[in-house]
Amino acid sequence: MDAAEAVTRAHRRRCKHFHRCKRHPNHTCRHLHRCRHRHHQAPTPTKAPPAPPVEPPVDPPVAPPVDPTAEPGSASLLTAASLHLANRFTYGFTPGLHEQMTAAGSPESWFEAQLNPAAIADAKASAFQSWWPSIDLDAAAIWQRDQSKAERSWEAMQNYARWCLLRRIYSQRQVLEVMTEFWENHLHVPLDDSGVFTYRADYGKLLRRHALGRFDEMLVAAITHPAMGISLDNARSTRKSPNENLGRELLELHTVGRGNHTEDDVKNSARILTGYRVDMWTATWNAYYNPTSHRTGAVNVLGFSHANADPDGRAVTEAYLTYLAHHPKTAERIARKLAVRFVSDTPSEALVAHLAQVFLANNTEIKPVLRALVASGEFKAAAGAKVRTPTDDVVATHRALGTELAKVVNDDSAANVILWQTASIGQTPFAWGRPDGQPDDNRSWSSASRLLASFEVHYSMAGRWWRKEDVTYRTPEAWMPAPSLRFDELVNHLSTQLLGKRVPARLLRACMEATGLAADTTITSSHAVIRWQFAILLTTLLDSPDHMHR
Amino acid sequence: MTVQDPCCPEYRGTSRRGFLRGSMVVGGAAALTVAHGTAFTQTSYAADGVADQVLVVLSMRGACDGMSLVVPHADPVYYAARPSIAVPSDQLLVKDGMFGLHPALAPLLHLWNAGKMAAVHATGLPSPNRSHFSAMEAVEDADPGSEARVGWLNRLVGRDGVGSPLEAIQIGGGVPTAAMSGPQPVLVTQGIDTVRLSGPGGPAEVAARRRSLQTAWGSSTGDLGTGLRSALDVVDQFAPVHAMSSTPANNAVYAKDDLAKALRASARTIRANVGAEIITVDHGSWDHHTGIGTTESGLVKRRTDELAAAIAAFFADLGPLADKVTLVTISEFGRRVAENANQGLDHGYGNVMFVMGAGVKGGSYYGKWPGLTNTTDADLLVTTDYRSVLSEVIVSRFGASPAQVFPGMAPARVGVMSGS
Repeated sequence: MDAAEAVTRAHRRRCKHFHRCKRHPNHTCRHLHRCRHRHHQAPTPTKAPPAPPVEPPVDPPVAPPVDPTAEPGSASLLTAASLHLANRFTYGFTPGLHEQMTAAGSPESWFEAQLNPAAIADAKASAFQSWWPSIDLDAAAIWQRDQSKAERSWEAMQNYARWCLLRRIYSQRQVLEVMTEFWENHLHVPLDDSGVFTYRADYGKLLRRHALGRFDEMLVAAITHPAMGISLDNARSTRKSPNENLGRELLELHTVGRGNHTEDDVKNSARILTGYRVDMWTATWNAYYNPTSHRTGAVNVLGFSHANADPDGRAVTEAYLTYLAHHPKTAERIARKLAVRFVSDTPSEALVAHLAQVFLANNTEIKPVLRALVASGEFKAAAGAKVRTPTDDVVATHRALGTELAKVVNDDSAANVILWQTASIGQTPFAWGRPDGQPDDNRSWSSASRLLASFEVHYSMAGRWWRKEDVTYRTPEAWMPAPSLRFDELVNHLSTQLLGKRVPARLLRACMEATGLAADTTITSSHAVIRWQFAILLTTLLDSPDHMHR
Repeated sequence: MTVQDPCCPEYRGTSRRGFLRGSMVVGGAAALTVAHGTAFTQTSYAADGVADQVLVVLSMRGACDGMSLVVPHADPVYYAARPSIAVPSDQLLVKDGMFGLHPALAPLLHLWNAGKMAAVHATGLPSPNRSHFSAMEAVEDADPGSEARVGWLNRLVGRDGVGSPLEAIQIGGGVPTAAMSGPQPVLVTQGIDTVRLSGPGGPAEVAARRRSLQTAWGSSTGDLGTGLRSALDVVDQFAPVHAMSSTPANNAVYAKDDLAKALRASARTIRANVGAEIITVDHGSWDHHTGIGTTESGLVKRRTDELAAAIAAFFADLGPLADKVTLVTISEFGRRVAENANQGLDHGYGNVMFVMGAGVKGGSYYGKWPGLTNTTDADLLVTTDYRSVLSEVIVSRFGASPAQVFPGMAPARVGVMSGS
C-alpha cells in the first residue's frame, strides 16, 4: 500500500507534509497526504501527459512526422488578404469558398463576379422559399393564415428570420446576402412591429433586389413600401394631421442623419409622404395611393423645394427621396455605415469622404463604392478587427462545421431551432425593436454573457447535440484527413477547414491544453480525442478570437 | 472521464497566474480574486464583494397607465374621461383624500401598511416624448443633450471608478438596456443557469478549458478580449449563486411568468451576496391601446396581478435581507387621460413610480397632483421629474452624487426616502 494511503483520515485533513508532483514540476505544496497530485507518476519522455484512459496502443505514424507549420495541402490555403475579403464579404470561410476564389482566378475577380449575383447559380438557397410558405405569399394570404391559426403572425416573422439565416449559410451569392442584411438594417423595419408581418417578407425581398443597385432607387422603393408605412405610421397618416414618424426617421436615420435638419423639415417631410395608405386589419390589407390623404401645398426640406400642388403626390415624393439620396450628408452617412460594417469601428474621415465622393460621383450606385472600399489600404489593414454579431457567429459556425440542414418537419427541426440558437446569444435577425437598426460596433456584442452564450452554442454544435433533428453533422471520423496522424497535424487540418488558415501556435497550444494531448500524440479513429473529446477540440477552435472576429 | 485532476488551491493559483485582466478597468475586491485560485475566489470575493445595499430597477415596458394603478379617485375628470375602464372608487385599497391603489395590488398591501411601499404620482420626463423607443432611451440615458450613450445605472455603478461586472446585473434581454450601457462592465444574462462555461463539468476539465481559453485569447486585445476575461471572472464570481439553493427562502412562492422568474433569480443572486449592487428586470408589455378592461378582467388586471404577485414573492423570499434592498419601478411614459374607442388608452405623458423596500418612507402617496382635463389629447402633466425620485433613492441608499448620475439636473425634494 502506498505510504500516502496508510495515514489516518485525521492526518490527511491536517497534513503539512511537503511534496512535489512527479508529473507537474511546477506543483509543490504542503498537503502531501491530501493532494490529488500524490497519485501522479513521473512522465516517461515519450508518453504524452496526461494519458487519456481509453487511448489505444501507440502506433507508429504511417508517414514520417511533418512540420505542422508546413501544411501539406498548402495550395488549398487562402492568402491572408483573400481570407480577409472572405471574412468581411461572406458569412464565413468554407473550403468551397476557396475553390470558388481559385476558379475565379483571383479573389478580386471572385468579388467582381459576386457583384453580379444573377449570373451565379443558387439552386440550394432558392429552394428554402418553399420551406416556409409565407415567404412568398401576399398580404391577404398571410393575414388569412394568421386568422385561421395556420401560421400566426409571429410565426411568420420567425420563419422569415430563419429563411434569412439559411440563405446566409448556404447561398452562393454571399456578397448579395451580406449587402441585403446591411440595407435591411439601415432601412430597418422591426419584424415585431404591429401589422408589419403582412408585408415584411416582401419588403426584405425588395431590398434584396436593390442591394447592389442604386441607393436612390432603393430609398424610393423602401420608403413607399407598405411595410415601412405600417412600421412608422405613414400608412395611417392623414392630410389633416400628417404623422411625423416616418418623415422624421427618413431624415434622422435613413438619409442625412441627426443634427442636419430642423423640426420644420420634419413637418414638411411628413406632408410630402402623406397618401401611401394601407387598409390595415382588413381582409385585403390593400396598399394603395390615396390622393385625398395627400397634404398638398408648397414644401421645402433641406433645399428641396416643390409646389406640391397635385393631389397625387407620388411624383413629388419620388423627387424628394431622390434628392435626399443624393444629399452630401446622406452620402457621408452611408459611407460611414459601410466603413463601420466592413472596415472598422473607427474608419478615418479620409476613407469616409472618399467613399462618399464615389457614391455621389456614381449617382448613388452601390457597386463602385464597394469596389473603392475593398481597394482601400484601410480595408486591407483591418483584418480581424470586427466582432461577429450573434447571428454572424451562428451562421459562420454552421458554415465552418459544414452542417447540412434538412427541410423542416416540425418545431424541433434544426432549421427551425437555428433561430433559438441566435436568440440564446442575444440577437435574432431584424428583431431589434427600434427603427435605428441593431448596433454594429464591437462593444455592443462583447459582453461576458454574450461570450458564454456563444461558447454554449459552439459546444452543443461541435458535439452534435443541439439540435439533432433534421440535420447532418460531419462525424469526427469524417474530419480526419488520414486514418492515422499526429495530433498537431489533426489540429492544423481542422484549422484550415474551420478558420481558413494554418493553426497559429497559440491555438495549437490551446487545443493541447483542452484535450490534455501532446503535439506528437498519434491519433487514429479509435483514439479518445476522436471518440469522446472531439467536441471540446472543435469548440476550442470555434471559441477562439480567430473565429469570433471577422 | 478520468483525466487526472491537477487541483489543489496552490496549483490552481499558479496555473492562473498568466491570466490578467489586461485593459479592463477593475480593482478592489475583484482584482484580489486574480491573485487567488478558483477555490479562493468564492470566499474572497464574497467577503470583499459584499453589496451593503441593492437597487432593483423594474422597468414596466410599453408605458403603463399609472392612473389605473394609483387611481386619482377624487379628481372627477378621471371618472368622466373613462366611462368604461375607470377603477371604481369603492374598490380601491388604502385610499387617502386623493388616491387609492388598484385592487389587484392587494398582495403588496402588507408592504404598504408596514411603511415599506410608497407611490409618487405625476412623474416623468421634463417634456413629453410619445415614442416608446426614444422615450426609453431618454429616460434611461438620463443625460439630455449628450451623445455619449451612457446610461444612468452605468454612471451609478461607475461612480467609484472601479467595478466588477457583477456590480450591475441585467436579468433578461440580449444587449444592455440604455440604462446599463456604457464603459463600466455589466452582466447581461437571460438567467442564472446561463452564466456558466460550456464544456465537460469535471473540475479538471473545467480547469483545462479555462487554461485553454486563456491561451487562445492570450494576446487578444479589444472589446471581445476584454469580454473574454470578464466572462471567466464572472463565471468564478457567480459560483456562489449557483451554489445557492434555487428554492426560494421563507416558503415564498413565485408564479411562472417572466417577471416572477427574473425576480426569483434576483433574490437568489442577492442571497448569494456576490457584490451585485444593481439588478434590472423588465416587465411588459403595458402598451394597452385596447382592452384595458375592468377590475374583474382585462389586460391591466392581468399585468397587475403578475406584478404584485412577483414583487410580494420577491420580498418574502428575501426575508431579513430585504432590509438592504430597494425596488423602484419606472415606465417610459404614461397614457392619456381619456379612454379611446377601443377601451384602451393612447400614448400620454405623466405616470406613477413605486418605491419599495429599504429606506422608503412608505404608506403614503407623494407628488403634486396637477389636476386632469378631459379632452381627447389631454395628458396627465408631469409635476415631478422622474430623476428627482431616483436621486433620492441613490443618495439615500448609496450616498451617490445626483450631479454625477444625472448630469445637469437639479433634483427637487420629493421626500419619499429616509434622509430626504
